[in-house]
Amino acid sequence: MLIRPTREDLHLIGHNLGRVLVVVAVASLLPLGWALIARETAPAASFLLMIGVFGSLGYGMMQRPPENSRLEWSHGMVIVGLTWLIVPAIGAIPLELSGHYGSLIDPYFDAMSGLTTTGLTLIQDLDHLATSLNFWRHLLHFMGGQGIVIAVLSVFAGGGAMTLYYGEARDERIFPSVRSTARFIWLVSIVHAAFGILALGAVGYFVLGFRPFRAIFHGVTIFMAAFDTGGFAPQSSSLGYYHSGVFEAVTAVLMVAGALSFGLHFALWRGGRRVIRNLEVRTLFATFLGTLLLTLGGLAGAGVYGSLFGLSRQGIFQILSAHTGTGFATIPSPELASWTGLAFGGVAIAMALGGMGSSTSGGVKSLRVGLTIKALSSQVRQVLLPEGAVISTRYWHHGWKQLNPGLIEAVMGVSLLYVALYLLGAGMGLLYHLPLQAALFESVSAGANVGLSVGVTDPSMPVLLKLTYILQMWAGRLEFVAIFALIGFVISLVRGK
Amino acid sequence: MRRVAALTAMGLLAMLIPIGARAATDVNVQQLLADPSGFDGQTISVVGELIGDYGFRGDGSAWSQLNGDSYTTAPLLKSGRLSGSNLGIGIRAPAALIRDLDPPGDYHHRGPLVRATGTWRYHAADRGGETYLDAINVEVLERGTELNETPDPAVAGVGVVLLFLALWLGLRARKPSTG
Repeated sequence: MLIRPTREDLHLIGHNLGRVLVVVAVASLLPLGWALIARETAPAASFLLMIGVFGSLGYGMMQRPPENSRLEWSHGMVIVGLTWLIVPAIGAIPLELSGHYGSLIDPYFDAMSGLTTTGLTLIQDLDHLATSLNFWRHLLHFMGGQGIVIAVLSVFAGGGAMTLYYGEARDERIFPSVRSTARFIWLVSIVHAAFGILALGAVGYFVLGFRPFRAIFHGVTIFMAAFDTGGFAPQSSSLGYYHSGVFEAVTAVLMVAGALSFGLHFALWRGGRRVIRNLEVRTLFATFLGTLLLTLGGLAGAGVYGSLFGLSRQGIFQILSAHTGTGFATIPSPELASWTGLAFGGVAIAMALGGMGSSTSGGVKSLRVGLTIKALSSQVRQVLLPEGAVISTRYWHHGWKQLNPGLIEAVMGVSLLYVALYLLGAGMGLLYHLPLQAALFESVSAGANVGLSVGVTDPSMPVLLKLTYILQMWAGRLEFVAIFALIGFVISLVRGK
Repeated sequence: MRRVAALTAMGLLAMLIPIGARAATDVNVQQLLADPSGFDGQTISVVGELIGDYGFRGDGSAWSQLNGDSYTTAPLLKSGRLSGSNLGIGIRAPAALIRDLDPPGDYHHRGPLVRATGTWRYHAADRGGETYLDAINVEVLERGTELNETPDPAVAGVGVVLLFLALWLGLRARKPSTG
């Protein structure tokens, strides 16, 4: 029997949702300040409106503190699910008012893509977009990559905060308290921000010869998109705009840092002697090498690049971008679309697998891939051994852990859901007569929050396909649980007793 | 003697550049993006707006992006219409050709409209597989212009009202309840 949520449940959810909106309102002061400094008055006015909506709605929901402030699992999941629907809706206001979008759904698509760190975009004439709006698109990456709710937890963590933490697809508690863990995540991000913006800005100024303000602008935006494995770029030709191996190399370091779990960052900060033993690290390294070899083999076989230097530079960057879930490209979409056979397979598999769990990247995640392989090899060994033999399989992931049937079931379940998500988008693409390869590529890119495109994502694409990709980005980022909980909550609200 | 030879060589080069420019095939950005390998090594002329940045490198070259979409002639801030994503190519030219140009296109500017002539390099082996136009001549067809935005006072007005509402609600929410 379904139990209808009480008024107090709704009040508790609303109150916490209000907190999130207020925190986002405060963060939105940054693009407003940027717009005022850059003398971009029309965007400044639209940021003012957005902050007003975030703030009044947020504080409006926080008028009366709930009697019981302890969050149950269902509350936490519903709050996270709703947060990731409402924040992009309000965050799309300045994008819509910019005049760079053709329909109401397009800015919402971009805001969702920004927040989920996907990087697919429907913006038109990006090259003339105000710098403050560009900064806002990238700030969405930064907030989404770290986790908006994490930001709230680092300020307000109270009873049941762990449910919010897990709801945002984080499963590693680095410190005993959620607040300390959330603060550590922000510390890692701020240290990387200082290094990343400085390094990219210096390359922009000293190597690429940009003006100081523009060097900083490129440094800030590319840092946020790289470390949060987002994929938006301030110019229409993505990373290809810079024509610089040095700039690509610094960006690549940040992309890899973003694809590592915050637990691994913690282990590395403490010396990291056992990092090599970590199943997730080994799996990520192995799948990166595998997909890289596939891609390089495919490109070499087709004679796409005439030199080894060109083949390796372009191949390695595209695979790094795909595997970390960033979505930067150094080649135009039509050229990426012409990568067929093994090269296509390599990039698509890299996108689908993604980076580490509890990182900023999407996809199935390396730990699940590693555990699946372990489970399968354990099954094979079981078959080969005499009947009744017992096999014990353990793995290293911040300590020795035992592989048990419950864990295998959970891992397989989520992995299958990702496959279903990829097939859903591909099927929708086929419905609109897209070629299979293009339909599959774009769907995996949306579902795994990557952002590489073969040209399907375009302002003129059908509305239903846009909605499908929005759903895929949302579900892929939250790893399904919060979404199922939200659906269950709505059903019990309507049909519960 | 060496000086005379150098001056003669420079003179010959100066004569050759316009000849090369004249012999170039006119191509638009859309054609280049659709068939980038088809023009590899050819001398071509492309018309478009210089946009984003002028990156002056240590080797005496300057890099920019040349856009050939409808926004080059009708920017959105000058009542241009939405017509899809930007279409652009990378361009490298001697810094001297770029240094005195109007600012490149951005939110506040429509960049200079130029005809760039040079060699189309597809997957250039010496540049790690990059594709770009190696320009030897950049002719300004139309100077860059400033773009003026027109902020909507209603947007700012509603924003300010909502901001005050948020502040009032925020203060109200912080008050301890008397019940």
